Amino acid sequence: MKIETNRAACEGHGLCEQTAPDIYALDEQGYVYVRVPEIPPGLEASAEAGARVCPVAALQVRR
Amino acid sequence: MKHIVVAGGSIAAATAVSTLRAHGWDGRITLVTDEETPPYSRVPLSKGVLSGALDRGSVTLPALPDDVDVHLDTRATALDVQTRTVTLSRGTDLRYDGLIIATGSRPRRLAPDGRQGELVVRTLADAAAINARLRTARSAIVVGAGFLGMEVASTLRATGLAVTVIDRDPPLRRLTGHWLADIVTAAPAETGVDFVLAPRGVTLTGDPVTGVATADGQTLTADVVISAVGDIPNIEWLHNSGLRLAEGVVVDPWCQAAPSVVAAGDVATRQIRPDLYRRTPHWTNAVLQGRLAALNLLGVREPYAPDHYFWTEQFGLNIKIAGELPLQGTPILLEGDPSSRSLLAQWHRAGRPVAAATVNLPLPIVRLKRLATVAVERS
Repeated sequence: MKIETNRAACEGHGLCEQTAPDIYALDEQGYVYVRVPEIPPGLEASAEAGARVCPVAALQVRR
Repeated sequence: MKHIVVAGGSIAAATAVSTLRAHGWDGRITLVTDEETPPYSRVPLSKGVLSGALDRGSVTLPALPDDVDVHLDTRATALDVQTRTVTLSRGTDLRYDGLIIATGSRPRRLAPDGRQGELVVRTLADAAAINARLRTARSAIVVGAGFLGMEVASTLRATGLAVTVIDRDPPLRRLTGHWLADIVTAAPAETGVDFVLAPRGVTLTGDPVTGVATADGQTLTADVVISAVGDIPNIEWLHNSGLRLAEGVVVDPWCQAAPSVVAAGDVATRQIRPDLYRRTPHWTNAVLQGRLAALNLLGVREPYAPDHYFWTEQFGLNIKIAGELPLQGTPILLEGDPSSRSLLAQWHRAGRPVAAATVNLPLPIVRLKRLATVAVERS
């Protein structure tokens, strides 16, 4: 599983990071990046949970 | 616990489902929503979806897990907590071991029942209905100058409509106080939106609705009339359930409403004082409560603590606020200045920081939230 981020859409509300801090982080400007290029199997549900709380739907799950 | 039923299909419901699975619970989940689409974000509905700049796909959230049984276009109509049964508007009643109530709220309307033409912004269908009118409409009245009403006004003005916003109070002032409201409303003044103050309220006129009349005798008409005057929690289906209702489903600090029943999001209300209940109908809170409701249903006791974080985009301004609304008094300016409309400000009460806000200034959200609780050294 990979998470595709739409950085142009990201508004930096940080809900993804709050939901799944192992997967998502915010850079020094406050915008999202994904910590791991490939989501480990044990964290897939968590990565999906983090993607699903983005208010601007900037995170998509790719399998 | 073998079967968890989730009543509702927006972000609190989706987050609860996500949390159950992320926590490793692999029992049966059934989600029932009266909407015709799987979970999406309502946040862009007042912005890009309204104007047509964004399509449906751009608001669609990642799909719920495949093993969740989703019933679209289906309403929960009654709850029996003794037999643990949810009655549905169609199909077989559902027996649950755990129930998550996330039926949200609906827009408050000003027109009497049966009157046509009053537009609101809550669902994809609502936004699409307004968007369809934009092809021919030249003018709009927005009733309500809170965050939603002002976002709608901003979007419609940007598409070229003549826009009038009307409210009992000056725009945003009830939420953000004078200082920030004045900065924000300087922008719409420049973009040509008219504000009408109607301290004693308005009624909608025409059937279908074509305008408003203020209690002071002023009348206005427009091609579209949109109400953004708050929301009403969807609790009617619970009236005979025995659950405690107080303009919302009353939940304890663990989001619990009754044994094996939790509630989250716009439908949930908390008792603040003996005579005071409070709902927090915002995205951040729906996510927080959705998560906690699911965890507590699984027996992970984690208490709720409000996460006061709000944002709005309007008239070219990106505003983020950490701290409880309304903002009160004059803040200390930490960066930028009002004339440039790019700033960071911090509000205090009794000498302690209680809120912070940015306008058009990128700042990691963690830092903004910290400024709402911790004093900074001033140079």
